[in-house]
Amino acid sequence: MTDSAVPKSRIRKQSLLKQIMTMPAGAILLVFVTLQIACIVGALAYPDDFRYLSPQNLTILMKAIPVLGCLALGAGILMIAGEFDLSIGSVYTFTAILMATLVNADVSAFIAAPLGILTGVLIGLLNGTITLRFGLPSFIVTLGGLLFWRGAVLLYNGAVQVRFDPEPIFTSLFAGTFLGVNAAFIWIILFVVGFYLLLHRHKFGNHVFATGGNRPAATAIGINTDRVKLVAFAIAGGMAAVAGIIATARVGSVQPGQGAGLELQAIAACVIGGLSLSGGRGSIIGIFLGVMLIHTITDVLLLLRAPGFYLDMFIATLIVVAAAFNHLIERRGAA
Amino acid sequence: MMSSSHLLELHNISKSYGALTALSDLNFHVGHSEVVGLLGDNGAGKSTTVNLISGIQKPTTGHLTIDGEKTMFTCRSDSADAGIETIYQNTALVDSLSITRNIFMGRERVNAFGFLKQTEMREIAMEVLEKAVHISGIDSPDKLVGDLSGGQKQAVAIARAVFFKRRVLLLDEPTSALSVRETEALLAQVLKLKAENVSSVLVTHNLYHAYQVCDRFVIMSHGTKVFDVKKADTTISQLTEYVVLT
Repeated sequence: MTDSAVPKSRIRKQSLLKQIMTMPAGAILLVFVTLQIACIVGALAYPDDFRYLSPQNLTILMKAIPVLGCLALGAGILMIAGEFDLSIGSVYTFTAILMATLVNADVSAFIAAPLGILTGVLIGLLNGTITLRFGLPSFIVTLGGLLFWRGAVLLYNGAVQVRFDPEPIFTSLFAGTFLGVNAAFIWIILFVVGFYLLLHRHKFGNHVFATGGNRPAATAIGINTDRVKLVAFAIAGGMAAVAGIIATARVGSVQPGQGAGLELQAIAACVIGGLSLSGGRGSIIGIFLGVMLIHTITDVLLLLRAPGFYLDMFIATLIVVAAAFNHLIERRGAA
Repeated sequence: MMSSSHLLELHNISKSYGALTALSDLNFHVGHSEVVGLLGDNGAGKSTTVNLISGIQKPTTGHLTIDGEKTMFTCRSDSADAGIETIYQNTALVDSLSITRNIFMGRERVNAFGFLKQTEMREIAMEVLEKAVHISGIDSPDKLVGDLSGGQKQAVAIARAVFFKRRVLLLDEPTSALSVRETEALLAQVLKLKAENVSSVLVTHNLYHAYQVCDRFVIMSHGTKVFDVKKADTTISQLTEYVVLT
């Protein structure tokens, strides 16, 4: 290969595309960029019919992404560690209602919000402890969690919505605008950077990949895989609560039914982003691109005035195609 | 025999799982710069022995000595601290991580905040792969382990042992998934390490591979040692007889 200089550049070009495709988030990056270019071209060509680039639309996108983003980041780390959490949608609602009622009882939002996150972390730890202590599939344990905390919301609060009236500074911190950018969007960018450093640049991240990728190997080399998984469960629970805070600060109230189905959307975002269902594979950038892709497609279909059920059908197709594609890459990697 | 000078020694080790006795009163030792073949049929207790030495399981009774000092491993990192590295056939590497990350798995080079020193680890991995382990086809430490062949994976595991200055290598069925050429390379590696004062315990079914490199043979049957012989004092047919008939 080194002695023939002429075809070298061609080989490198091919391998660059191949490299992008085999990167954990490479394929989704290509899809995302292509979709963005198509949307921008469409919006420039038909500014009146397809208002993708209008400030209102961009603001809606920036407000919608952080909530699913937080849920997906937590669920994603846990998936890479080799476990699932189906309860995050219910935990998201439960902790938000807890926070809102505390604020209504004259507790400062700056105390109520950390208490909400702490509750999310504790629920995550409980899921993890039950899963690991009894050697159960986390799918089943957290399915129980999903129903339990959904029920707990109704028991604690009933089916009525709760108003959330915090100090104005709290609202502007999580739902205001900073330099023209939505505050929640800045938060999610910070979380993405933080999670990137944790998962891809920190010792803990290496242990997460090792635990999910080959648990016996990780144990044999001296990694405490139970502790890694437990921390991942705690992160998933905590991030569900963070998502609840961001959503509640934006809307100003909590609906008891608002979290239903979000856990599946979060897992869908992870799968679209290139995470393996069996653990050990994936990237933070992939998760975030998965979230943005779901919201971009939803947004485009809304702008095209497609009926609501198209959204579900489109996302569903995307999930299955993404999963099939990931499986193909995995099988090739294992060969 | 000056038993206190042995590098690693097992004293009256027994291990039972409820009613099942996996090991009973097992004694054997590994000397300095010595390759010991641990032989035996399926169910003889070889894997349990490996797990005990590497600290994954604890013996019911009995103890180990390292350099004559009594010790007890309660977890994998205890045995790693004592200089013991276990190389398993399939289980010791993570396919979805790079070679560098596998070599440093669980023993990452980090800064004060726990962040990985990636450049440093990469350079070390490259150097170890080039200098210490000569198995062809590995050109970059960034390659995913899942893309390597069986022999290359073993090479990565051995590179890990070499870099962390191990004194005893436990090789659990290392050749069962290797090609002929890879097997030769692996056995040559074991001899090279012996010359560098690293002892090995070769756990295997394959008497011919063992006979090629081992200085001494320990044959196990039904959880205990039935034969312990130097290579000079035995033949491959005698070893076969012991493995089959006891």
